[in-house]
Amino acid sequence: MSLVKLNRWIPILNIVAAVTLVVSLGMNFFYAPTERTMGNVQRIFYFHVGSAWVGAVAFFVALVGGALYLRNKQRIWDTIALSSVEIGLVFLTIATAAGSVWGKPAWNTWWDWSPRLTLITVAWLTYAAYFMLRGAIEEEDKRARFAAVYVIVAFVTIIMTYISIRIFRDIHPVVFGGTLETAEGASEGLQDFAPGLESMKMGITLTVNTVSFTILYIAWMFNRIRLQYLMDSVDSLKMRVATRLQGGKA
Amino acid sequence: MRHKQGGRSAWQTRRMNKLAQSTPSTSLRDNPFLTAVWAIVWKDLQIEKHTRQTVSVMVMFSLVTVVMFNFALETELDAARNVATGLLWATILLAGTLGLNRSLAIERENQNIDAILIAPIDRRAIYLAKVISVTIFTLLLELVLVFVFIIFFDKPFWRPIVLLVLFLGTVGYVAAGVLITSMTMQTRSKEVLLPILLLPLVLPLILPAATAVGESMVVAPEASIIRSMVSLVAAYDLAILASGLFTYHLVVES
Repeated sequence: MSLVKLNRWIPILNIVAAVTLVVSLGMNFFYAPTERTMGNVQRIFYFHVGSAWVGAVAFFVALVGGALYLRNKQRIWDTIALSSVEIGLVFLTIATAAGSVWGKPAWNTWWDWSPRLTLITVAWLTYAAYFMLRGAIEEEDKRARFAAVYVIVAFVTIIMTYISIRIFRDIHPVVFGGTLETAEGASEGLQDFAPGLESMKMGITLTVNTVSFTILYIAWMFNRIRLQYLMDSVDSLKMRVATRLQGGKA
Repeated sequence: MRHKQGGRSAWQTRRMNKLAQSTPSTSLRDNPFLTAVWAIVWKDLQIEKHTRQTVSVMVMFSLVTVVMFNFALETELDAARNVATGLLWATILLAGTLGLNRSLAIERENQNIDAILIAPIDRRAIYLAKVISVTIFTLLLELVLVFVFIIFFDKPFWRPIVLLVLFLGTVGYVAAGVLITSMTMQTRSKEVLLPILLLPLVLPLILPAATAVGESMVVAPEASIIRSMVSLVAAYDLAILASGLFTYHLVVES
């Protein structure tokens, strides 16, 4: 996608993202019913799940970007992978912070070294290390290649994390996908999804939140890719100035 | 004509089979892939036999680590016993980074790796060979560590299931390690970068492995937990070995 096209789409996306975010925030507070056992604290849940979902999507996009870069060595795929990891890390941080705020009233502690929380911290570290790897390599081609390999291997560990948090006995509630019987401890602290209108309202709020976070992710991706374009053009301009100053022809 | 050619090739294979049977070398030895793997493993073992640098450094380092951790545990034996499993894995991971760095730094000395890359062998053979040789070094380290831990912490580390999990965990760790070390060796920060990249990557492997080891040493182990943990470890091994085999050539080409 060219810079001109990006410049046209980005303002629209930004506005849509802002509006849907305000709508979902309003729904969290005024539309969703108050949960029976946990009360208003449960409203954090919508943001928590929304951002965790986007985190997973972002790392998957990074994996696809890395794989496609290795396939056809086009710089844009490396940029997509890099942007996606950056944004995914932000969303993962939001999810962890929101979860921690919820955990204080629910579990009476900000943090618990349960397998799920441990592994999500490890995932955060894994993707944070991605930037250390990029920072340590000078040659552009090699940096992109190694980063792509790393992002693929990192996603393998994310899949393992996804599987193992469904096998380990854990304090954290499981919303998507079932668990083994050994992990039944999960039901403690789970919000009440009884059938009926109330729980339907909760479901709708969750869906709207997830969609609006996804739109926010897309908007940020476009902004970040545009930023990379601008950085690259600044770099090439700098090179031209440097050659001109050295007396060569630009 | 076609029939005749087919007949000839069948005759040739029969003859080759006969040759293979008559000589002590098996048909496995004729496989160029396995020959290359074996040659590199043999080279690494020979170097280790003469220099004795990798395993001895790893062993010394892990002994220091164990003693150091005992400071943190305030030398209370009960506390130390409870964390012995985690301590064992932490020690193996830390000592493992030394072994990986050492074993792949040897390749970088005197442009050894270039010579191997010039040779007409599959890149996957190089990867597999490095995984095998570093796994052997790490298993040697674990042999010492298991002995030391039995004495220091008085826990049944000799149980077959513990040894099996140790083996499986080591394979996965080294498989990820060889891939990552081959990358970090070519970066500016070299050795420094390895633990930052590798340790978070292998923690999803170590968590079930440590759980399995811990569970198998309690008074009444729960078989279902051990089984699911061991299968998690095995699944990680397969996944990481596959991604290593597929991507290793991208990491070594210059």
